Amino acid sequence: MKALDIIFGLALAIGGLLVPLSGDAYLMGLVFQLAMWIALAQSWSMLSSTTGYLSLGHAVFYGIGAYVCVLLTGVVPFGVALAAGAAASAVFAGLIGLPVLRVQGPYFVILTYGLAELVRNVVMRIESALGSFGRMIFMVPSFEVLVWCMVALGILATLGAAAVRHSALGAGLAAIRENEVAAETVGVPVARLKLLAFVASATIPGAVGGLALLRTGYFEPAQAFDPVISFTIVTMALVGGTETVRGPVLGALGFTLLSEALWSSLPQLYMIVLGLTLIAFILFVPRGLSGLADRALGRG
Amino acid sequence: MDTLLSGQLLFAALVSGSLYALIALGLNLVYGTLRLLNIAHGDLVMIGAYTAFWLFTLLSIPPVVSFFVAAALCALLGWAVYEGMFRRLLANPGLAKRVEANSLILFYGISVILQNLTALAFTSSSRGYQYLDTVITWQGVSMTGNRLLSLGVAGGICIAALLFLRFHLFGWELRAVIQRREAAQIVGVNLNRVQPIIICAGFAIAGIAGVLVSMTEQITPFMGFPFTIIAFVVIIIGGLGNIGAGVLAGLSLGLIETYGVALTSPGYRSILIYGLFVAVLLIRPEGIFTKAVRS
Amino acid sequence: MAFLDVRGVSKRFGGLMALNNVDMSVEKGEIFGLMGANGAGKTTLFSVIAGHVAPTTGEVHFNGRRITGLSPSRICRAGICRTFQIVRPFAGLSVEENVRVAAIYGSGRGRSRASRDTLVNEALESVGLTRQRAGLAGGLTLSGQKRLEIARALATGADLVMLDEVMAGLNPTEIGEMLETLAELRRSRGITFVIVEHVIGALMTLSDRILVLHHGERIAFGTPEEIGRNKHVEEVYFG
Repeated sequence: MKALDIIFGLALAIGGLLVPLSGDAYLMGLVFQLAMWIALAQSWSMLSSTTGYLSLGHAVFYGIGAYVCVLLTGVVPFGVALAAGAAASAVFAGLIGLPVLRVQGPYFVILTYGLAELVRNVVMRIESALGSFGRMIFMVPSFEVLVWCMVALGILATLGAAAVRHSALGAGLAAIRENEVAAETVGVPVARLKLLAFVASATIPGAVGGLALLRTGYFEPAQAFDPVISFTIVTMALVGGTETVRGPVLGALGFTLLSEALWSSLPQLYMIVLGLTLIAFILFVPRGLSGLADRALGRG
Repeated sequence: MDTLLSGQLLFAALVSGSLYALIALGLNLVYGTLRLLNIAHGDLVMIGAYTAFWLFTLLSIPPVVSFFVAAALCALLGWAVYEGMFRRLLANPGLAKRVEANSLILFYGISVILQNLTALAFTSSSRGYQYLDTVITWQGVSMTGNRLLSLGVAGGICIAALLFLRFHLFGWELRAVIQRREAAQIVGVNLNRVQPIIICAGFAIAGIAGVLVSMTEQITPFMGFPFTIIAFVVIIIGGLGNIGAGVLAGLSLGLIETYGVALTSPGYRSILIYGLFVAVLLIRPEGIFTKAVRS
Repeated sequence: MAFLDVRGVSKRFGGLMALNNVDMSVEKGEIFGLMGANGAGKTTLFSVIAGHVAPTTGEVHFNGRRITGLSPSRICRAGICRTFQIVRPFAGLSVEENVRVAAIYGSGRGRSRASRDTLVNEALESVGLTRQRAGLAGGLTLSGQKRLEIARALATGADLVMLDEVMAGLNPTEIGEMLETLAELRRSRGITFVIVEHVIGALMTLSDRILVLHHGERIAFGTPEEIGRNKHVEEVYFG
């Protein structure tokens, strides 16, 4: 199974990196979307799958990255703008992390949602105070470059998620998920590890937001901080399965393909299917697509 | 300064405050008895609003009748959610643990489904209708009939609920469940009977609140979430199961919001509400409810 | 200064004085018993020492260092680990993973992978959980989970282990095994134990010295024989 995972992952990564050479705009768009959702869902899993602190506000990191990126594009080179977007998200997570991570269970879930909405409204307010109702972005690198960058982020996030899971950090985070008091008692520095995971899970989404924005060429706070982004991340990760690194990849794969079929023609229907699948998986398939794959291949 | 001291502003604050108190009452009941945070609560308000809108525009049925239809519809929805999802899961302690942790995500799924079903059926454009919008002036305060009706209905239901909880036997059972869930079971309160009734009542109250909203505001399929947030702020400030304090907290939030917006600008309304929400959760995280129950 | 030195510790919960000016000195390598009826303040004293509860007044010193006010994880890394009367296993992790987390993060931090493995194996072996190591902790019996609590505490590499009623709910055979295990651990690894136990026979057999608490106050202190002869203890404890 492990070997199979690695082959599957390598095939996806190489395929993704090769697609821009074909010059096929549709395929590139598909790969861009897929890599984006893999990067986001894997980042989310670094905090939420490991510790059980389910974030329903990851759009805030995506949005902050996009915002910083749009402010810097044209001022500094493209790569620097992206890095700044990621750094801004990481710093924001670091600043709010300690108080936010003291809140537990369902309160944490709804707090992250509320926070994302708060930031969205503040940015909307700032933008309208500046008299800006959406910003156009010029001097965008070619789409090929954007696709390569996004695939790289998807790979990076997947490797990062695997590294977190199989490290001492991952063991500590799992202990926190199972019983925070007991974890603290056997020496796990609970507050510090949670903060570390929070910052780790916020960083890549910042760069992803920047890239997604450069692709559309247009920034509007209501869209960059859209709560639908958060919801999609959670759905993909939970439906894919939280117990393995493979889970978010499977979830992203499934829903990206579904979205290709439905989003352009019937976006509401796509959202309804998203909601129904999420409910069905939480209730009946708690181990997700990843668990189903294990069973189909005769393991677990 | 004159406007701040006027009865006009106070009236506006009372109207929205009573509405918030009503919406929070429904959420409070459901959380109190089922220990499930219903993030889709505001979407039931939206369902109620659409019910009133269509009944009025298509069949000329006035909101005073729609109250009953919206309440019944939402109660039915509550029953379906309870039977379809939570009943078996709450009955099984092993599963209940997991579901409690995930219940918010589950309800979020329901919320997304309700919003998009509505948008699919009726498009996303905002809608409204005119009902009792003649202005009545009393003591220099201008009031529209629909706002007066809203204040009366919301206030009336809140007071009725308080009296019911205090004086009716079922109200006592309910308070017992809210305050000491396990102990209530031991002394013979039947949770399987109480829970479905309460989830239906909580949903129905949200539906009625939706009818009230539709009389005075534009409605859209995505109007619900701010109401959910407001209801959360109210019950966090007021405390779980503390229905009376919740009503007071609802009124205070109406005052804070109305005066806050009057002092700044309407553009700050969302920031104010979300800011308050985040602040309340950060200052009194998760201990709020348990503390309120213990004291 | 004693190995563990508790000086004038008081803890007030609202109007209740859970601990009132308690002193306690534990020497290195001894087994120190804590006795008292329900609500006497034994668990609160554990919580104060382990850093879960901040004392209202008083100080705790360990190994010559003041540890009052440190977080539980820091105190653990300083070499003190406690178990919980109501077990707190990492239920969704395997028995071995439970113990491994303790080996990674306890005072054994910075050890090589091999010495960590040794720590884990020894801890599992000494409480007799080696055979169940691959199973989920949540699937263990109560007795198994109590032993897992001890294994986890041992795997942190703690020099002082505080056991909160690890024998409650065990049958006589299991209690016998547990007594042997603890005595053996002290002999072979020089671990200091502070134990709270309702099973008084076990406490008397095992402890070098015993402190008796009553309503948060220290009412007697001495060897098991001295405590057994103490009239005051007999009055408040046995009625």
